Amino acid sequence: MIHGSSTFIHVGQVHVDSAPRAISTVLGSCVAVCLYDPYLGIGGMNHYLLPFWNGNGLQTPKYGNIAIPKLINLMTSQGSQPKHIEAKIFGGAMMNCNENEVMMIGRKNILVAHDILKEYSISVIAEDTGGRHGRKIQFDLAHGKVLLKYALQKNISN
Amino acid sequence: MKELEEIAFLSHKILDLNKQLIESEKIKSQFLSLVASKLNNPMTALLGLIPHLDPQRSCSQEVFDLVHQEVLHLHFQIQNLVMAAEIEGGMLQIDYASVTIQSIIEDVLRDLQYLIDAQGITITLSNTLSSPFITDPKKLYLILKNIIANGCSYGTKGGVIDISITKSKYILTLEISNQGDGPRVEFKPQVFQRFAQTAEGDHGLGIGLSIAKELCGSLNGVLDYKVAKKTVTFVVSLDLLSKIPNSDAYGSDEFLFESFDSAIEL
Repeated sequence: MIHGSSTFIHVGQVHVDSAPRAISTVLGSCVAVCLYDPYLGIGGMNHYLLPFWNGNGLQTPKYGNIAIPKLINLMTSQGSQPKHIEAKIFGGAMMNCNENEVMMIGRKNILVAHDILKEYSISVIAEDTGGRHGRKIQFDLAHGKVLLKYALQKNISN
Repeated sequence: MKELEEIAFLSHKILDLNKQLIESEKIKSQFLSLVASKLNNPMTALLGLIPHLDPQRSCSQEVFDLVHQEVLHLHFQIQNLVMAAEIEGGMLQIDYASVTIQSIIEDVLRDLQYLIDAQGITITLSNTLSSPFITDPKKLYLILKNIIANGCSYGTKGGVIDISITKSKYILTLEISNQGDGPRVEFKPQVFQRFAQTAEGDHGLGIGLSIAKELCGSLNGVLDYKVAKKTVTFVVSLDLLSKIPNSDAYGSDEFLFESFDSAIEL
């Protein structure tokens, strides 16, 4: 049960907040990394579409290699120490089994999350990734828990 | 044999990464020059002009107009830098409202009048959409401002910019055409790349068009351009929304509003 209000984030957004608020999003092949600092009671979520920024356009958090360090920086700028931060990873579904490339995007999105979190020595304590269904998640910052529901395939496009 | 192929593949990869690193260093220095020229120049002009606005002295309308132009120019550059920071910071918020396209275009043309006059540009508008529609007006304003400013700055002096607005059942299309050579279609990736310069030389491609493209994407739209005989046309296609999306759950459908009862807890 969420007692505070919830902020919905879209692709390319990064949001850090504190208890009792919550952060939610809906994912297909996109991935959301949720970070939580149980010492400070703050947490954050990103929502990225592709694993790597290709150098074109703006360096936005639509890309995992931009979105994850950005989220970590936002947490540390609010006083979190990386050794206290716990991570959970969601999304990266294979939304269309006929499209090999889409499958790879989901998988690459998951891989980049693991690689970057490892680089920052942040442990992944829970994960629900891959599969063929989209997900709706709500990150409860009062307890650091994530509520997850699976979507029917027709509901999600990214 | 296979090892040799792998070594060749990895060498190519390293070369590509190295090129990207060099490019990235170049972009950094270009950004510093951009800030210097785009912000410092109007500020220097303002510092020079402001003493002439002393109420003790009779200030000419001309000086006042020059100050106003420099302020509008500076404001435009700052608007773009702030928006780029918001986009890159993952802080972009979409605030939908019901607006008329006519009012947004009037705001853009009013704020760019100094540039339109300076370049001797004539603007023509063909609009088949008179009813209000749902969009984020501030984002659409900045998209159009950047495209029209681009047309004024890099199109033919004394030329015409045509703005055409058409609507199908689900899509609103805005086409902005200016006269001039424009960037060649093969340089399309670079056109929307921040601080990019094509092999054709400096087309003044700063951050405006990359911002416009990102903002179109944030409104579930697309920005593209086409070049035909001495005319460059930028096309903005936006989804027409039937109602203002719930601010907490844009893209509303049943799934988004379902409760988290019986959800898995992780």
